[in-house]
Amino acid sequence: MRLGYQWVRMTEAVPPYLAPGRDLRLDFFRGLALWFIYLDHVPNNIVSWLTVRNYGFSDATEIFVFISGYTAVIAYSRMMLREGWPRTAVRIYRRVWQLYVAHILLFVAFTAQIAYVSIARDTPQLIEEMQLMGLGENPYRAIVETVLLKFRPVNLDVLPLYIVLLAAFPFALPALLRWPYTVILASIAFYAATCHFNWNLPGYPDGKVWFFNPMAWQVVFYSGAVLAVVAHRLEIFDRWRWVAASLAIAYLAFAGFIALSWHYNSLERLIPDWIARQIYPIDKTNIDILRFVHFLAMAWLVRLAVRPNARFLKWRVLEPIRRCGEHSLQIFCLGTFLALTAQIIVARYEDSIVSQLLVSLAGLAIMSLAAYAASWFKAESRGTRT
Amino acid sequence: MSRRIFAASFAMVALWSAAAGAERQCRASRNLLELNNPLEIARAAVAEERQLRIVAMGSSSTQGYGASNPKYSYPAQLQIKLEAAMPGVDVHVYNKGVGGQDAPEMVDRMRADVKPEHAHLVVWQVGTNSAIRRDPLTRFAEKLRSGIDIGRSLGANFVMMNLQYVPAVVALPDEEDYARVMAEVAREKGAGLFRRFEIMRSWYNDGMPYAQFVTNDGLHLNDFGQKCIGKLLSMSILEAIRPRRLTGAPNTPH
Repeated sequence: MRLGYQWVRMTEAVPPYLAPGRDLRLDFFRGLALWFIYLDHVPNNIVSWLTVRNYGFSDATEIFVFISGYTAVIAYSRMMLREGWPRTAVRIYRRVWQLYVAHILLFVAFTAQIAYVSIARDTPQLIEEMQLMGLGENPYRAIVETVLLKFRPVNLDVLPLYIVLLAAFPFALPALLRWPYTVILASIAFYAATCHFNWNLPGYPDGKVWFFNPMAWQVVFYSGAVLAVVAHRLEIFDRWRWVAASLAIAYLAFAGFIALSWHYNSLERLIPDWIARQIYPIDKTNIDILRFVHFLAMAWLVRLAVRPNARFLKWRVLEPIRRCGEHSLQIFCLGTFLALTAQIIVARYEDSIVSQLLVSLAGLAIMSLAAYAASWFKAESRGTRT
Repeated sequence: MSRRIFAASFAMVALWSAAAGAERQCRASRNLLELNNPLEIARAAVAEERQLRIVAMGSSSTQGYGASNPKYSYPAQLQIKLEAAMPGVDVHVYNKGVGGQDAPEMVDRMRADVKPEHAHLVVWQVGTNSAIRRDPLTRFAEKLRSGIDIGRSLGANFVMMNLQYVPAVVALPDEEDYARVMAEVAREKGAGLFRRFEIMRSWYNDGMPYAQFVTNDGLHLNDFGQKCIGKLLSMSILEAIRPRRLTGAPNTPH
């Protein structure tokens, strides 16, 4: 196992991807992102006031994609050093296949839920309302476009992004370990070019494009990936960490003020036009630079505030969040499915606040239970194998 | 300890949402809803053929970007509201929204998008992207004229829908010039004008926060905004094609 490491330049600190043990922060924050995504996917949910999206530019998507990049390196780099590139590429593609199957299954379950509710409640307008555009009009074409990932109804666009990112990942991995700085520069350049030339992948119906443009969002994924290789070298910046932290806090305060101004016109009137002209629109499809920087500022503060061995990461009350983070794929799919259920229930009770609170709590509880069950199965299958 | 933090944050959220959750209703004053056009072709189609075919030409607003569900886009809402208001009339709204486009691109596809649908009415949502791209006003006006000419040669009335009142547009130095040019061209060419900009500004001035009707990119309408525009547009059109009715409430079937 040691042999392969030799060409990696070893500094006194260990790069994160070679560090032994599991970094609990990854599980915790990914779990938190999954909770946020669930809460945000229930329209007008008052509990979504707990999520990051209302306090600045970025939201849970950035957290999820960033951590996905980081963990991709942790999961596959050692394997590559040990067993070589071909086997690793095959392994990554096995994962891509799992994601793909999960996405298709989710699509079917999601559509079936809408159909079921419509039939059970005898409300055909729900099918129309949630219209999975074109599925009713041209089902054959819609199925082909679904398989090609071009047709992605409401809320089903995060997994396709992840699938595309991970499918390209084997080709970046060797360079990532050898020349991490070159990779991040290339990634940023590609992002800039994508925004400038307005590149995107085609969607369905014709004329639509990907809501999360993979060619832009890759910059978040590769920031995570590169940091998994070089994060230990960030320590040289620690001399100025409070300067950086102050800048980050100032930026978050600015973003927080802007976000608050969307809710209070009296604050909104304080923002001069020339500033508004610089910041709007804050594009999500091509992850606007303001969103990206907002995420990086948060990540920097989290790095300072939450060390890998932070005590609270082991608190029992927070264990459900960590468990969800450990089984992110299953929990993500479940959460998307449940968010639809929640949406239907809340609509049935005319957006009452009690129903919002209840479906939020119930959804998170179901997600957590499923995560515990998944851990249990995993432990069991491991137990029988060895 | 951690439990207490949890309880505290939940309490905070409850207070916060109570303060921010004062939802305001979808409405606009009657004179803002005036299209200033009788829409003869659309009216005749409803009266004589019992049908109304509408093409919604536009950019991302029309396409429904920002709505959580395509059925919430204003063209889909327009169809729902018109059908409810005119039972027995066959209403079709064809969504021809393509994100990022504006007058020049839309003029190029006007014929291809309007002709096959045999539209009685074209709702042309335009101007926002031209204003953002700072297209010259004279060229913008020219494109509007030729677009209307193409549509009319195919036998359709026009309702121009002007810019949306959102942070990204309000911050522009000359967005009102684009709205003014649209009003001028509409008057000159005998097209109706749906004053989305002025209507949404009245929401804002009535104290409705942006968060209620705009997505957090500061540019696109969210579910509420899309649905409300669809509803108000349907009221405007109904008012225009049934001018004898004096009071509002076009949703009441006759």
